[in-house]
Amino acid sequence: MNLGEGVQLVSFGLLTALMLGSALGVVLAQSVVYSAFLLGLTFTGMAGLYLLLNADFVAAAQILVYVGAVNVLILFGVMLVNKQMAFEKVPGLALRQATTGLVCAGLFGLLTTVALTTPWMLSTTTPAGDGAIVAIAQHLFSDFLLPFEVASVLLLMALIGAIVLARRDLLMDNSATGLSDDLELKLPERPKASLSSGGEP
Amino acid sequence: MFSLSGYEYFLGFLIICSLVPVLALGGSRLVQSRGLGPERRTTYESGMEPIGGAWIQFNIRYYMFALVFVIFDVETVFLYPWAVAFNQLGLLAFIEALVFIAILVVGLVYAWRKGALEWS
Repeated sequence: MNLGEGVQLVSFGLLTALMLGSALGVVLAQSVVYSAFLLGLTFTGMAGLYLLLNADFVAAAQILVYVGAVNVLILFGVMLVNKQMAFEKVPGLALRQATTGLVCAGLFGLLTTVALTTPWMLSTTTPAGDGAIVAIAQHLFSDFLLPFEVASVLLLMALIGAIVLARRDLLMDNSATGLSDDLELKLPERPKASLSSGGEP
Repeated sequence: MFSLSGYEYFLGFLIICSLVPVLALGGSRLVQSRGLGPERRTTYESGMEPIGGAWIQFNIRYYMFALVFVIFDVETVFLYPWAVAFNQLGLLAFIEALVFIAILVVGLVYAWRKGALEWS
């Protein structure tokens, strides 16, 4: 059994409305937390669109990577920002905003032109459907085996790099100990006071 | 043309899921008490008194956990097709996936040894 034509059309309309609305909310929301959560909603809507395009693996990857990982990182970034920090007033704000608006309008015009001039032809081949992910797996473990294994090395490098960078941040946090802590294989201890005041919500 | 099977159940569950918060909030709104005492305005009714603002800077240690989580989240994406097509792939793919996981376990051991997973 497959989804009917009408259900697909309604789903497409709902998803598009959801994505456009939440994308506008990302830009217009006053609180940066709302923006981050609405960004997650936009990514989720995009995963729904991938599902409608018969690409369930891409949809799963979208949910896992963008909603699960990227958005979580953004939220953590927001959580680490102290709101009490006084932001300095940027000089020449109007000029900067005008430039940004101009660049964004140009980009929008360019993309609209591309969308209107591209001949959108429907593919004549039947979509792979449920067999697509099996085909991906068979490629991944036969002729794309080396990139697959190299990807794990890349992830390993990213993990080690992230730990090294984050540890440097921690070291800068209590700069009294300085470089001598760097030689030991331990994260420096933070004072208990800052842990209890900052850690517990 | 939609050719993925079984998604009408997914759609049904999606509709039920999106009804749950609406029903929960709307139901509690229907049966709530109308009294407007000062207790009603507190953040946690009959709970602890919150101290200070809600906008505090969270501990940077949370970020370490998030970074490690993101790496293993991306690893899941690579293992997902292997898990789905496990029956068709056979023993060789199993060994190859084990090699993939083993390389990432090195990273986990590194994070462990560096104390990135310890809280304090």
